[in-house]
Amino acid sequence: METRPRKILSIDITKKESEVKSFEDLNSYIGGAGLGFKLMEMYYDKNPLIFAVGPLNGLFPFASKTALVINNDGVIEDIYLGGNLSLRIRYAGLDAIVVYGTSQEKTILDITNTGVSFKDSTEDPETLGLPGKRSVIKVDGSKILLGGYFTTPEHYLEKEFTDKNISGIVVTGTELINIKDFDKYEDLYKKILGRKDELSVLEGTYPSCSNCPMGCGKSKTGEMGGNVLLHSLVACQYADRIYTDVGVVFSCLNVLGYNYTHEDIESLPKLIEQTLRRIS
Amino acid sequence: MPKILKVSFPEKCVGCEMCTLEAQRQLRKIGLDGALIRVFRNTNSKLGNMEYALEIDPRISSLNVDKIQKICPKGVFEVEEPD
Repeated sequence: METRPRKILSIDITKKESEVKSFEDLNSYIGGAGLGFKLMEMYYDKNPLIFAVGPLNGLFPFASKTALVINNDGVIEDIYLGGNLSLRIRYAGLDAIVVYGTSQEKTILDITNTGVSFKDSTEDPETLGLPGKRSVIKVDGSKILLGGYFTTPEHYLEKEFTDKNISGIVVTGTELINIKDFDKYEDLYKKILGRKDELSVLEGTYPSCSNCPMGCGKSKTGEMGGNVLLHSLVACQYADRIYTDVGVVFSCLNVLGYNYTHEDIESLPKLIEQTLRRIS
Repeated sequence: MPKILKVSFPEKCVGCEMCTLEAQRQLRKIGLDGALIRVFRNTNSKLGNMEYALEIDPRISSLNVDKIQKICPKGVFEVEEPD
């Protein structure tokens, strides 16, 4: 079993307090959807908004989505948001961000490697964080948009921002990730990138998710549900031919230094099902 | 003389940051700290138009700029050979 602790930033927006906690016992959930569902169980009474990334985010092509897990009036929804957020969360050294409570006044969360600043809504989120290293989610007309373009299906982000009285979230990541065998990593990166013709989406000229060259028109509104392994990594559903190949997944995880076994990967769907059953 | 990487067609950029990450890998880095290429959303673009701006550090010339040009899926860059 993998023994790398998961780093979770929890933000109490009512008290304007935050803390980073490390959890070793969350390793079996891998990341993304799996980790998000488990965190939903842990924070269920606080009605959290959860952003979770997987072990491949920021490291391999087509693994560019961020899992959002929310409680939609008793139904636990998993949504996958495009753009550059997953890379910023990963480069901030985090595996997930859990936001709960309700702010008395509209608040912007300015998140960095070192902590959270709570800003009032008179500030422009585009001026917070570091240019080129930040991801900005903010009110844009009647919508909540990431990078001025990416959003979620069925206005889930709008509902969450309204309920919690959030007017923006900025995440800046400046950590560097160390890999023991960099040459092997780079070789694998290039091999996976070379498989872009296997994606079930056409190349386009739309804004693209970070670390994905496709520029497809599908990532604008994100994804909902689907394959739990793919969404625990967190890869794009249109790259399922690549990232549901267990051999590829193991090669990626091994080169990154994770020690998962086949049993760990095979037991993930059941683990998630049991978690969801406990909170549904 | 080292080759020069030029942003010749910024209007084609889709913001994927493949160039940034390729340059970082050449420096054996994974992350954005010290990135020699930065990609920004151009917030001054006309309503409804998504545009990106790129900023290149001159130190990029010490890297393999042909690889950076090639990894861009939209042909944003040109490589100039010095006279």
